[in-house]
Amino acid sequence: MSLSIMNLEKSYSDISGKNLRVLGPIDLSVQNGEFVCLLGPTGCGKTTLLRVISGLEQADCGEISSEKGRLGYVFQQGALFPWMNIESNIKFPLKAAGMAADLCRSKAEEILDLVGLYEFRKSFPHELSGGMQQRTALARGLVTGPDLLLLDEPFASLDTRTGINLQEMLRNLCRRLSTTVIFVTHNIEEAVYLSDRIVVMGHRPGRIVRDESLSLEWPRNRLSSTFTEVLLSFRHTFEELVDPSISS
Amino acid sequence: MSRLALRKKVRTDLRQKVQGLLPGLIMPLVLASLWFFFSSRSILPAPGAVLDVLLDPSADLLSCGSLFWNTGVSLIRVLLGLSIAIMLGTPIGFLMGASGRFRHFTFLVTELARPLSPIALLPLSIIIFKDTSFTEVLGLNQLKYSRNILNELQIGMVFILAWGGIFPVILETMHGVRGVRKVYIEAARVLGASRLFIFRHVLLPASLPDIFAGYRMAVGRCWMVIIAAEMLPGTNSGIGYLLRYSYQLSRLDIMLACIFIIAIIGLVFSRGLELLGEKWLLLRARER
Ligand SMILES: Nc1ncnc2c1ncn2[C@@H]1O[C@H](COP(=O)(O)OP(=O)(O)OP(=O)(O)O)[C@@H](O)[C@H]1O
Ligand SMILES: [Mg+2]
Repeated sequence: MSLSIMNLEKSYSDISGKNLRVLGPIDLSVQNGEFVCLLGPTGCGKTTLLRVISGLEQADCGEISSEKGRLGYVFQQGALFPWMNIESNIKFPLKAAGMAADLCRSKAEEILDLVGLYEFRKSFPHELSGGMQQRTALARGLVTGPDLLLLDEPFASLDTRTGINLQEMLRNLCRRLSTTVIFVTHNIEEAVYLSDRIVVMGHRPGRIVRDESLSLEWPRNRLSSTFTEVLLSFRHTFEELVDPSISS
Repeated sequence: MSRLALRKKVRTDLRQKVQGLLPGLIMPLVLASLWFFFSSRSILPAPGAVLDVLLDPSADLLSCGSLFWNTGVSLIRVLLGLSIAIMLGTPIGFLMGASGRFRHFTFLVTELARPLSPIALLPLSIIIFKDTSFTEVLGLNQLKYSRNILNELQIGMVFILAWGGIFPVILETMHGVRGVRKVYIEAARVLGASRLFIFRHVLLPASLPDIFAGYRMAVGRCWMVIIAAEMLPGTNSGIGYLLRYSYQLSRLDIMLACIFIIAIIGLVFSRGLELLGEKWLLLRARER
């Protein structure tokens, strides 16, 4: 599903009633099936942008146009339902869409296998580690085979090895289903490894400072010199954002 | 595990349980022996006399009916009032929690009515409802002069019980619904759930522990209210009535037996509901 955002602005009012612009005018259009990573320092409005796109938050002005389709959303803090076990959590969006019970189960089991949580399907969220909870949240976002998938730092609390496996899994699945993905992360290497295109955001107010499609071929090799080159160039942009004095 | 080992485990489990209970039994034993000691030199009846009353619960007492009958009358009154409180209070509390407009609409009434003790309303409810019982409401006048439970279920009594029970139910339900974390509702929304689906699968289960706590408070309050109400004019049955009547006739053995029964039932209500809540509803499977 393609998506286009034009001239979007969003402010919050703080306690004293003062208006604080969180998202500056933002223009962004995402092609159908594109995997876009949104990279930016903390507090620059990445979560807010996802919330506006998903309709949880109303923009002050600007326009978002997209086709109709299924939405998948993986929250920054899991947001699993603590009174449901892992399997029920994952089945939630399927049941909400009115899918028959046995189909729900087979779909959930398939995705549980993919994220490696099949043995834990009867556990409750509080019985799992932080990383396992994140994988559950990922599975819940993926299970419907969404047309647009919004992911808010889904791999933040995973160790490198598990993170890489899941990146692989996510990437393959999204290509197979030609899902349009907006993936928020702090992790530059993750962004360079996963995405077709990287959008870097700066803060106060949140705006796009760099938007670049990657020409790296698949499968990507994290140790190749081209990969490192791209990585370094984005690291440079990032450092500049945090501390503008480096740019010289 | 072998049969023998299993039996051994059961036995040690049992022993541990009994040992766990022992410290709690010390105080009651001390109190009972004090009672035994003082009853011989005061008007207090001996424990044996009270036990005699308790051990023959179906014997008629003071021509008021048996312990069984009077306890049953009180219990059924409570259950009736409580069901009304729950059936009305839960949806009202839910609406108040979910809709700010409804909350503002009802806020003043509930805040004013809540501190009003149900006992304070007893005279008023007797004036309004007279001594109309369910026999008359259901049009079963042929039952009127027989000993039938319907004769003992006065509308006024059920009304004040419902009054006593409804506010804890409303308030706890409202707090439960308002306390559901926004992120759960948002998650459900972006995952495509309709309002009805969110109500059924998010709002309801997430606030269930609070709703249940409200029910527990309501049961406790109703049990207190009924005893007090039965001691006042308006009825001549129930464990509270038997308690007051035995006092008037100076039958302290019966009076103490009534007190025991009231305490035991109160305990069973609160502990029983607590266990039910933990075991059945998995209330503890929440975030810690
Ligand atoms: N509900 C709100 N009310 C007021 N201010 C808010 C609200 N939500 C977010 N903000 C502000 O908006 C800014 C952007 O927040 P946002 O959560 O979008 O950042 P982020 O880029 O996702 O950061 P992180 O990488 O740490 O998750 C922050 O400065 C925050 O203080
Ligand atoms: Mg964020």
